[in-house]
Amino acid sequence: MSAPLFSVEGLAKRFGERVLFDGARLELEAGSGYVLTGANGTGKTTLLRIVAGLEPSEEGRLAFRAQASLVSDYPEAWRREVVYVHQQPYLFGTTIEKNLEYGLARRGVPRSEREARVREALAWAGLTERREVPPHKLSDGERQRAALARAKVLDPTLLLLDEPTANLDGDARKQVLELVTALCIENHTVVVASHDPEIIRLAILNRLCVADRRIEADD
Amino acid sequence: MDLFEPTRQAFHLLLAGDPQLWRIIWLSLWVSVLAIALMAPPCIVFGFVLAKRQFAGQRAVVVLLQALLSFPTVVIGLVIYLLLSRRGPLGAFELLFTPWAIMIGYMVIALPILVVFTVSAVQGADPRVYETARSLGAQRPRAALTTLWEVRFAVMAGIVNAFGRVISEVGCALLVGGNIAGITRNIPTAIALETSKGEFAQGIALGFVLIAVAIGINVALAWLQGRGGLE
Ligand SMILES: Nc1ncnc2c1ncn2[C@@H]1O[C@H](COP(=O)(O)OP(=O)(O)OP(=O)(O)O)[C@@H](O)[C@H]1O
Ligand SMILES: [Mg+2]
Repeated sequence: MSAPLFSVEGLAKRFGERVLFDGARLELEAGSGYVLTGANGTGKTTLLRIVAGLEPSEEGRLAFRAQASLVSDYPEAWRREVVYVHQQPYLFGTTIEKNLEYGLARRGVPRSEREARVREALAWAGLTERREVPPHKLSDGERQRAALARAKVLDPTLLLLDEPTANLDGDARKQVLELVTALCIENHTVVVASHDPEIIRLAILNRLCVADRRIEADD
Repeated sequence: MDLFEPTRQAFHLLLAGDPQLWRIIWLSLWVSVLAIALMAPPCIVFGFVLAKRQFAGQRAVVVLLQALLSFPTVVIGLVIYLLLSRRGPLGAFELLFTPWAIMIGYMVIALPILVVFTVSAVQGADPRVYETARSLGAQRPRAALTTLWEVRFAVMAGIVNAFGRVISEVGCALLVGGNIAGITRNIPTAIALETSKGEFAQGIALGFVLIAVAIGINVALAWLQGRGGLE
């Protein structure tokens, strides 16, 4: 079997007295989709944040492609390929369009190419009409779709979504669900933390579960 | 005493472009603007680091800066006077009683204001701003800039506040500048010292200018905030 795209070994994480992980391990295969479940407060969000390099931990070895690193020493280059989307995404106080452009600019993508890619991602998320609207005028569903488009436009190797449908219902939830499904079918490696039964049921996703301070495969 | 006649004269001086009066106004403006322009970038960077990074003595630094906020400016002037006076450690530069001495004083006065406003602006920023920037591939300095941009009006409020404080400050400017006509006489020292010599019209004219500047910068800030998409 080939080496996993991303792996976590010997992960230990605590907040004060509260131990979230102790000797946890995780392997993510290139191009596969995962749904991460577990009761409230077991550490799903925390795990995604550790994988994204946003959260320190006491112990833990990471490997991305063939490169190894400690959690405490997350390589800058990985941030170009690993993108995390908050449960309630933050959009910068400018237009949707500029939000989508932000990560491309950080990667040094030339302006003409940026425009084309942003246009495509806006259309994908159904936000073309709303591209010049500031975020505080968007609905929760539009905001979530904008955040998904902002991540997708970067074509990340590893995409981490934290409960993308949690704050939505009705049509807004359906639309986001479609986008999440599309992202999982594409070539990305995706991990979705979720309690949403419809996401958990998606046949293309491998099920992972946080329990007893470990991450288990859950079939 | 008749207020009408000196007020009429004051407007006449202003509108007629009285060179002595406008030299005073010009000195106040350029010294204040330059002091703030030089101090704002390092103070904003320092404020950001102070708000975000954990280090030993961090709390003590913030408390010290807050204490400096209410430090009497005349005492700051005194310290700078001693440093710059001929036999002081910086006497060789011969800066005392020049506009540069006033500018140094203004920089010291502005420092805690700029830093403290930045610290509270950054602490008030949503922590997701920095994380989002980082996760979208921004290096640390860029993520810091993005965070500061998101709270730019709170940071600008610090700049406006610092500017308003220095341009109307008397004690320090008087001590280290000396109110020398044509060289270091600025708006507040002129008002404070020349009015007692009977220069009522000039005092009133300069008072109007100070008030206009104060209103002007605050209106400008409010206008920028409005344009920032908060409507
Ligand atoms: N910054 C923090 N400081 C202290 N405790 C924290 C912090 N972040 C998370 N925790 C605690 O760690 C535990 C796990 O949090 P986490 O958000 O990872 O859970 P989760 O599995 O995502 O839960 P949910 O299903 O509610 O989203 C919780 O008990 C939470 O209170
Ligand atoms: Mg969570």
